[in-house]
Amino acid sequence: MRLEFCWFCSSKIYPGHGIQFVRNDAKIFRFCRSKCHKNFKMKRNPRKVKWTKAYRRLHGKDMTKDSTFELERKRNRPERYDRNVMENTLKAIKKIDKIRHDRAADHIAQRWKPKAAKERREARKELEQSISLIKAPLAIQSQEPAITVPKIKVKAPKQQTVEDQLMEE
Amino acid sequence: MAQYDFKKITVVPTGNDLIDIVLSRTQRQTPTVIHKGNAISRVRQFYMRKVKFTETNFTDKLSKTIEDFPRVEDIHPFYGDLLHVLYNKDHYKLALGQLNTARNLIKRIREDYVKLLKYGDSLYRCKSLKRAALGRMCTVTKRIGPSLAYLEHVRQHMARLPSINTGAPTILICGCPNVGKSSFLNKITRADVEVQPYAFTTKSLFVGHTDYKYLRYQVIDTPGLLDRPLEDRNIIEMCSVTALVNLHAAILFFLDLSGSCGYSISQQAALFHSIKMMFRNNPVLIVCNKTDLQTLEGLSGEDLKLVMEMKSAALKTIPVSTITDEGVMAVKNAACQRLLDQRSERKMKSKKMPTVLNRFHVAMPKPRDQKERPVCIPQAVLEARAEEAAHEERKTEKDIENENGGAGVYSASLRKHYILADDDWKLDILPEFLDGHNVYDFIDPDILQRVEELEREETAVEEDGGDFEMEDEDFTAEAEKDLQEIRKRKKLLIQKHRIKKSTAESRPTVPRKFDKDRKFTTERMGRQLSSLGIDPSRAIERARSRSVSRKGRKRERSVGGDGEDVMEIDGGLDNKKKLRGFKDSAQKMKAVTMARNATKKRNKDARRGEADRVIPTLRPKHLFSGKRSIGKTDRR
Repeated sequence: MRLEFCWFCSSKIYPGHGIQFVRNDAKIFRFCRSKCHKNFKMKRNPRKVKWTKAYRRLHGKDMTKDSTFELERKRNRPERYDRNVMENTLKAIKKIDKIRHDRAADHIAQRWKPKAAKERREARKELEQSISLIKAPLAIQSQEPAITVPKIKVKAPKQQTVEDQLMEE
Repeated sequence: MAQYDFKKITVVPTGNDLIDIVLSRTQRQTPTVIHKGNAISRVRQFYMRKVKFTETNFTDKLSKTIEDFPRVEDIHPFYGDLLHVLYNKDHYKLALGQLNTARNLIKRIREDYVKLLKYGDSLYRCKSLKRAALGRMCTVTKRIGPSLAYLEHVRQHMARLPSINTGAPTILICGCPNVGKSSFLNKITRADVEVQPYAFTTKSLFVGHTDYKYLRYQVIDTPGLLDRPLEDRNIIEMCSVTALVNLHAAILFFLDLSGSCGYSISQQAALFHSIKMMFRNNPVLIVCNKTDLQTLEGLSGEDLKLVMEMKSAALKTIPVSTITDEGVMAVKNAACQRLLDQRSERKMKSKKMPTVLNRFHVAMPKPRDQKERPVCIPQAVLEARAEEAAHEERKTEKDIENENGGAGVYSASLRKHYILADDDWKLDILPEFLDGHNVYDFIDPDILQRVEELEREETAVEEDGGDFEMEDEDFTAEAEKDLQEIRKRKKLLIQKHRIKKSTAESRPTVPRKFDKDRKFTTERMGRQLSSLGIDPSRAIERARSRSVSRKGRKRERSVGGDGEDVMEIDGGLDNKKKLRGFKDSAQKMKAVTMARNATKKRNKDARRGEADRVIPTLRPKHLFSGKRSIGKTDRR
């Protein structure tokens, strides 16, 4: 018995689940549930369907290259059973799993980092631009509360026009 | 030497049947249409053909019958005699002879009439000639009717005769009636002959076959013989006599010691002596049957003497009991052996033998000296043989399976023969999955080492302290507060806008100077300006100086008076007030909704009520002028 991976969403297929489709060229497609199977029949490309692992890996959302993946490899040559090796393997699997999990979490955290800086920049910009909603521009603000001065009528000398000036001459 | 097969003789039809057959054939297989207008040669030809055809058919059928029936002289004397016994040779020959004459007669008729037909001058004449010819042939056939019937009878009986191979080694069983011949036959062969206590149960010859030393022997059972002269014998006895006389076989003469067959030993002895001469040079065995009833030793002196006399004429005497099977095989073996010996002798004596013998030569090495030279088998081979014999007691897997309950119950352990570094591991349960991984994908002898490397890597990375983050200057507390204010203000604006949008259907778009709610006041303006940080007093003054006095405004009705409640006499119970005029709350809800829907449009147009009607265009042009494509224009 083997745990296989769904061709569409790359999730694990446990025994007793899913459907296998064998094409005429003898390529086997395994699906974990009818959702993936139906998507396949619709000829959808898993690399374009957002929720699949294939998309996520392709678009860098999930970790792709790591040394932990090399430890898990399908071996075609059977090994002679050795209890010690088996024990070690079982312990190792747990450790490898933990390390892989941590690394994957790191990867995602890395992805989120630039967001903080971006937010700060945007906040700064907003502050600059929309400050006028709460504060009047400095020029008017700094004005003292004015004392009402009575209007004084002052006669202003008639200003000769240029024509008059010319005519005078 | 041949096996005769009388079953192949074709069925002999009766006289009338034969006529019918031939005439219908003639009618079917020759042309039927002729006219008197046709040329005379054609007419003659037509009728001649019919005559010839009929004659041919008759001749064919009769010839076939004559040839199929065996000629008594040509077949083996045994069968010849048998046929004579059963059917009377003379009668048989006569019948066949009659058929022959009939055939010849028919031929003669045909010749005559064909000659006559050659000179027939009219259709009628030819037709009459043909009729005459056919008629005469039929008469001939009718006359041989009885012969045909007899021959058919004979044929049917012949087909049922036992097929005795006259050349094969044979054993013949004879004796008095009821002696035990048929039961003996049943014992040594697979024949199932009727065995009954009355005499003449067996009425004809029966054949069985048995094997001895890879050779097939025929065993023939005959009906019982009585001590009578040959002339007095009946047909049944004659059958057995024929067999005795004509067949070359080992003869087993059965003797009933007890006399329970109904004939005493003396009678049987007399019979024996009378048929002695028929034996000729056939080997004879005397079989003393029914020894369970009376043994040979227990016989009286006279009887014993008679038996001894018989013995002298025969080869052997063997006591037998067919019920207890005692001596049966001995008899058979003795008879068969005797026959075999005789055969070999004959072969040896024949002329061909020396030519065959010349081809054989067994070479024996001449002994050089007196030394004994036995067969030599190497010691190792002997040992191996001994070991193998001892090893036969090895217990196989199959034995174990059978012990533990058979194929469906026990399932063989395939792990028993695994070759592992440590035998304790043979019964280990191997896990296949762990935490969603295939264990077999991880198996590696130095997996621990690699995991250690991995862990070292991890710790190294941690100590590195992760990525160095670029520190942006954080906001000051003031700036933080301002940012929050801005966001709050923006949210409020959005909220207000949304409310406005949702009520846009029923709210009229009215210019500010008609604001009913008196929202746009100077106090409000003052508040807003001061929140921005500006001194509003100058702005308020300016606004006030320009505003229109409120004298000219219409007195507006007060909104939402308590008039109704005051008028209430009882003081007003809540429930009654709520459902005034309505049957129940559902009806009121409906009424309220209808009222609201009606006022929506009016509100949008900023109408004060139903009565607030404004007609913007008193006489729209399109209604008061022009022709109509449908309807009348005399009511404008």
